[in-house]
Amino acid sequence: MIEVRNVSKQVVTTEGTLRILDQINLSVADGETIAIVGPSGSGKSTLLGILAGLDLPSEGTVSLNGKNITEMDEEGRAAVRAKDVGFVFQSFHLLPGLTALENVALPLELNGDVKALETARYYLERVGLDHRTTHYPRQLSGGEQQRVAVARAFACRPTILFADEPTGNLDTGTGQIINDLLFDLNREEGTTLVLVTHEMNLAARCNRTLQLHAGREASAENAIEMVR
Amino acid sequence: MLSLKMLLRNWRGGELGLILWALVLAVAVVTSVSLLAERIERALTNESSSFLASDLVVQSSKITNADWLLEAQSKKVSTAQMLSFSSMVFNGDDMHLASIKAVEPSYPLRGFVKLSTTPFTNDESLIEEVDYGPPKGEVWVDARLLPLLNIELGDQIELGDISLKVSQILVEEPDSGGSYSFFGARVLMNYADIPSAGIIQPGSRVTYRYLMAAGVDAQKEFSEYIVWLKPQLDIHDRLITPDQAQASIADTMDKGRRFLLLAGSIGVVLAGIALALASHHFASGQTKQVALFKSWGISAHRVRNMYFQQSLWMGLGGSLAGLVIGFLFHLLLLFIVSDWLPIALPAAGPRPWITGLATGLICLAGFTLPALWHLPAQSPLVVLRQDAVLKPLSSAVRVVLGVGAIAGLLLWYSNNLYLSLAILAGFGVTALASILAGLFLLRLGKQYGQRLGSIWRLALANLWRRKAQSLIQMVGFSGAIALLMIMVVVRTSLIDEWRFQLAEDAPNHFLVNVASYELDGVKQLVNDQELDTAGWYAMVRGRMTAINGKLITESQKDSHESFRRELNLSWTSELPEGNKVTQGEWWDSSAVTNLATADDPEGQIIAPLSIEDELAGELGLTLGDRVTFSLGGLSFEAQVTSARSLNWDNMTPNFYFLFPEGLLEDYPRTSMTSVYIPPQKKLLVNDLLRNYPTVQVIELDKIIERIRTIVSQITRGLEVMTLLILGCGVLVMFAAVSLSMTERLQESAILRTLGSSRRLILGIQLIEFSALGAMAGLLASAGAEFSVAMLQRFMFDLPFSLHSWLWYTGPSVGGVLVGGLGVAYSRKAVVQPPLEVLRSL
Repeated sequence: MIEVRNVSKQVVTTEGTLRILDQINLSVADGETIAIVGPSGSGKSTLLGILAGLDLPSEGTVSLNGKNITEMDEEGRAAVRAKDVGFVFQSFHLLPGLTALENVALPLELNGDVKALETARYYLERVGLDHRTTHYPRQLSGGEQQRVAVARAFACRPTILFADEPTGNLDTGTGQIINDLLFDLNREEGTTLVLVTHEMNLAARCNRTLQLHAGREASAENAIEMVR
Repeated sequence: MLSLKMLLRNWRGGELGLILWALVLAVAVVTSVSLLAERIERALTNESSSFLASDLVVQSSKITNADWLLEAQSKKVSTAQMLSFSSMVFNGDDMHLASIKAVEPSYPLRGFVKLSTTPFTNDESLIEEVDYGPPKGEVWVDARLLPLLNIELGDQIELGDISLKVSQILVEEPDSGGSYSFFGARVLMNYADIPSAGIIQPGSRVTYRYLMAAGVDAQKEFSEYIVWLKPQLDIHDRLITPDQAQASIADTMDKGRRFLLLAGSIGVVLAGIALALASHHFASGQTKQVALFKSWGISAHRVRNMYFQQSLWMGLGGSLAGLVIGFLFHLLLLFIVSDWLPIALPAAGPRPWITGLATGLICLAGFTLPALWHLPAQSPLVVLRQDAVLKPLSSAVRVVLGVGAIAGLLLWYSNNLYLSLAILAGFGVTALASILAGLFLLRLGKQYGQRLGSIWRLALANLWRRKAQSLIQMVGFSGAIALLMIMVVVRTSLIDEWRFQLAEDAPNHFLVNVASYELDGVKQLVNDQELDTAGWYAMVRGRMTAINGKLITESQKDSHESFRRELNLSWTSELPEGNKVTQGEWWDSSAVTNLATADDPEGQIIAPLSIEDELAGELGLTLGDRVTFSLGGLSFEAQVTSARSLNWDNMTPNFYFLFPEGLLEDYPRTSMTSVYIPPQKKLLVNDLLRNYPTVQVIELDKIIERIRTIVSQITRGLEVMTLLILGCGVLVMFAAVSLSMTERLQESAILRTLGSSRRLILGIQLIEFSALGAMAGLLASAGAEFSVAMLQRFMFDLPFSLHSWLWYTGPSVGGVLVGGLGVAYSRKAVVQPPLEVLRSL
């Protein structure tokens, strides 16, 4: 469950104060899938960062599974991320010195899971990479690297998965395979999925879409204001 | 153990290689040098002690106080009494004024007496080493006494009232170099035979020596004993330490030790720079990883712990590996110099190991931890936005921490403030010059590069574009080159200084007290043997009787023997070779006429006097003081017009007191010289003494042989150390080259994708790195020149000189070495397919 109330984000630049997000309100139910769409610079990734507790809003509150993370310090937010949150990134973020298996197992090991390798192997099998466990990222294709990243995200069994342009670095065919995998696993694991994308096909597969424009939610009420 | 697992994974990923190598090398260099230095130091201390045949000696004109012996016994201090004097020994009608030394059976307390039954032998297999003196009723004699007295081994000789059996040829006494005063053949006898010989009477000229030594387990008691003993010494007693026993050997050893320290210190600084560069490189590669960890909910506290633990594991692992490699390397060094080490080296104590381990941990704390410091505070947002990267700890803070660590290590390691300051100042000047002049040179390169070909233009523009990185690399390169050059310059200066001592034909005998009427005959004898002398010097004997018109007082006589005894006075118009005027001015011989002499006290000009500067200090004489001398009952006055430093290493005659020509020539004079007498012509000494019994021959051949052995060992050690430190320098360069390599490889791969030729890509890299190396080399030359000047002035007591070769060697070596390393490192960009290169980054 994600609850967002009146979230705004401003940054001070040399040219003055820049408002990146403006009064965003959002509720996402458990197991729901939601796509955040919008043109470049509309604040999609900033909102994702705030929702995941990686960043703080200038105003407003964010609750994840009933815990108000905007009132917490970094240590508190880290604890929430460790328990509830998983990530899939556009640029995969695999560690180059680790094999596929070690990459998947690492977050589990860091959280003290004694069966980390076993679990990692299981999820690699589920993304169809059981034959590539000992390969290093440089020995894998882009699609395979993103599958490892997906396996890593699900291996931690998060209740909420944040995906930032998960197919942005992949060709259409490979991207389709990753999307299928993401949604299949999400359904099987019962995870809440929040994904940022500018692909409308992908957004259409979600239960709901939040369209951002210049930091504000696009709606019938503010449509004219936004296109001015 | 997770941190250990991650460390091993990082190591496998190749990210820790440089840091670990730098760490291992730092510890290995420090450990090997410390082990070697301590073992050689201990050996040399023992060796020095053997010059005294003990750890300490009290030399006196009176017999050793019985209380001293009793107290020594209670403190577990070993002692031996010894006395020496000149006396005639006889075999029938044959006689010789021998130099007698009587020793107790416990003599020598340190070192060995070398004996043989074959006269004049150098064959080691025929020489026996013993650690005791001759038994009662026997004497061990110098081989040349046998022909002088027409005797053979087993014959009896007469000494005073007793007859003693000649049982062994005395080849060498450990403390033979302790005194230059004997001139007759040596006869070593038992102390207990002295009373029955009846040759020591009240008033006899006898020198007593009281030898003391203590084992490792009784050092504390020994120190207590010396503290107890010192207040009981009076003006007739003189405490002699091993260093005082052999000033020239001690000086050589000391300089050798200092060089080892210098080399080791440079190794530490180089390894520190390599570690700093490698840590900087490692930390920048960890930013994303930390952000990822934090996005997974790992707290900053845990991240800090993880990196701290990894650093600790790395520090311990690297240090242990360094200790092992350092130990093995020191064995290798010992193996290489084993031929030059005549003595078994004692084992080292714990200090080198502690120093090595501490070096690893301090280097890590000073260089690696500051580089990693900002990582735990890294925002997890970096996983989404690159611009969220937190800047590392300020460069100024890191420099302060790094310099602090290096300064602490240098001070602890060398225990020498001047050395530490010289190295730090040299490196500081080089680093500062690298930053200031580096910017200027980079800009100059960019500007002039525009007029050159496309490769040059691209390469020099790249250097300017990456100027922050180029400057860091330049500091690394120039620091390494400067430190290496400092080491080579100092090593060369030392070896040059020692070259004379290494010379096979360095004078090893002094012939003194040659009367005017004997001079031609002695010269003839020497010439017949085809020997070269260092030239003949005339001298007269005189006493100081007054200073500034005031007679020498009894207390002055007690304070320094030069006030008591006759002095050797000589004259010259030119400043002798190896002498240097340190105060005042050398006289202009054409202006020194009509002197006021003893014969002509009404002369118009008071004679100028030049005095050795250290003696002047001891006697309290300063420029302008008027000193009255008495020669054969006549007096004259001279005024101190200059002070000189003398070179005692060149084994040529030196004089404490020099006067201009025209003052002393008419007094009864004697002559002296120094000459090299090879072992096979050693019997010349007998011929000289037989034909000219009043001539004194001071034999320095054994001392010179020892100096030569030690110098050879140290020189060989310096060569090997230089190689090891060169390895450190290359590591620094490797670390500096690797700093910008990711970016360079990426650019090169893109250029290749766009169709650029291998030649263009390698050409750009070659020019970039060579230009960087040449600029760094030029700046390094300035830093090295500055450091060497400081070291020469304050540490090695060598004259200052400019080193023109530095100024062209620095840029050329820098250009070639850095260019070569850069191209070798960049080859990957042209050997592997571009896509593979890009993926691996």
